[in-house]
Amino acid sequence: MSASLPSLGYGLGLRSEYYQQILEQSPAVDWFEVISENYLVQGGKALYYLDAIAERYPLVMHGVSLSIGGPHALDIDYLKQLKQLSERIHPAWISDHLCWSRGNAHQLHDLLPLPYTEESLYHVAGRVRQVQDVLQRPLVLENVSSYVRSKANEFTEWEFLNALTHLTGCQLLLDVNNVYVSSRNHGFDAWTFIHNLPPESIRQLHLAGHMDYGDYVIDTHDHPVCDPVWALYQQTLEHLGPVSTLLERDDHFPPFQELLDELSKARELGASALDRRALCA
Amino acid sequence: MRLIDWQLAFEQHLLAEMSTASNSFSATLIGGPTLDVETGLAIYHNAYHARLQEVLRDDFSAVWYWLGDEEFAQLGSAYIRRYPSAHYSLRWFGERFPGFIVEHYAEQGAPLAELARLEWAFTLAFDAPQGEPLTLQDMASLPPEDWPGLRVQLAPSVQQVTCDFNSLGIWRASKGEWDFPGSEALPLAQVCLVWRHQNVCQYRSLEAAEASALTGMVTRGWSFSELCAELAVTYQEGAPLQAVTWLKQWVQEGLLQRRAP
Repeated sequence: MSASLPSLGYGLGLRSEYYQQILEQSPAVDWFEVISENYLVQGGKALYYLDAIAERYPLVMHGVSLSIGGPHALDIDYLKQLKQLSERIHPAWISDHLCWSRGNAHQLHDLLPLPYTEESLYHVAGRVRQVQDVLQRPLVLENVSSYVRSKANEFTEWEFLNALTHLTGCQLLLDVNNVYVSSRNHGFDAWTFIHNLPPESIRQLHLAGHMDYGDYVIDTHDHPVCDPVWALYQQTLEHLGPVSTLLERDDHFPPFQELLDELSKARELGASALDRRALCA
Repeated sequence: MRLIDWQLAFEQHLLAEMSTASNSFSATLIGGPTLDVETGLAIYHNAYHARLQEVLRDDFSAVWYWLGDEEFAQLGSAYIRRYPSAHYSLRWFGERFPGFIVEHYAEQGAPLAELARLEWAFTLAFDAPQGEPLTLQDMASLPPEDWPGLRVQLAPSVQQVTCDFNSLGIWRASKGEWDFPGSEALPLAQVCLVWRHQNVCQYRSLEAAEASALTGMVTRGWSFSELCAELAVTYQEGAPLQAVTWLKQWVQEGLLQRRAP
């Protein structure tokens, strides 16, 4: 079994803290993922650096505001802005999250979990098709970390993701850390989640750190990746073959070299997982 | 429960002042082996409020410096309740904060609201459209016969804040992490300009004569020769020199672009 989508290699989340060093040092990063909303502006420093970095590296757009499962109408103006940005920087793909982030009238600015029901499935699937019509490309959706589950669930999260890719042709951004966080919080087996996703739909992997409070885990992106997540990542690559891998950091930003060292670790662990996969083939 | 009703109940939980959810909403949820529903819901509630408070601290750091942690957090909480976020980007969440300060503190809030307006002006200047600011090179290549009729407007990033108080002094003290200088009314109101030049935000206050000349050109639509004529009242034969001096400075600073004829 192997992922059929070509890999961009090992990338970093583009954050303003590192703009200048990226331009000055041209670090050995295969690609950068940009938070779309940070660049849906009309001018200024962020767009200046984005254009300069887009000339040197492949980019991917990652959004946090689509609210694909929300109760409101899709924000067509937002989608058009996304499309315009994509015409400016030509991302390899555009992703967001399988969640909702806007309520009835207010923006909630969080990646809120959905009930995994037939009603949710058809609600989301119809909206994914609308988004894909505007963007004219498959949407890539990420599994989120969660801290509560709906009693009404009729599917597991991985069954829901399978059904959604089947209904819409959307692709998946598998966040290995989020699987780990949710598995700890909800008491399911992380590998069962990953093993049951459709490999041919997995476009990208995310790696990040979290805060472990013992009884529960919170997805904070403010620490290095922990050992159990590295192990799960290796198992994932051994199963899928090469998949574009992205290291995220959103707080407690370390010196840039530390992040580059962590990305090198991902490369080394990824290479050894792929070697094992080749031996077993 | 229908999906939409469940989501609205979740939204109500996040917007509520307290992190304890209603029993009827909690009853629709399951916890994990060691994460109970109440804690799970509190994680979401805390994250919602902490994220918005962080945005306000970032965008209004001088107001925060003035008020201190506790009072700023109380003001922030009241703002979050009064004006929940309506834009998909957190960049716009603070848009109504200066006006809210006036609502919240009434007249006593005027100096604080002015400081918030000044801070918001930096936010606006930061990512405003670039426009096509005039350069000294543009001016050098302007044919002599075009000078008298030259008309200009402000570049898109330029924000003007009228200050009745020492807001700029307080803002500087906050950036320098100096002791709070105290709030004072200015003897004369001053216009403070905030703009972006070569991707860096700039600011300076204008003396009344310069502010009046700039307003004449960018708001009232004076041409360069009209500016000279207006300045002649005060500067007599020195008016053209004063007009050129200011115009050169404004162009050097990236404040102006040409107004379409």
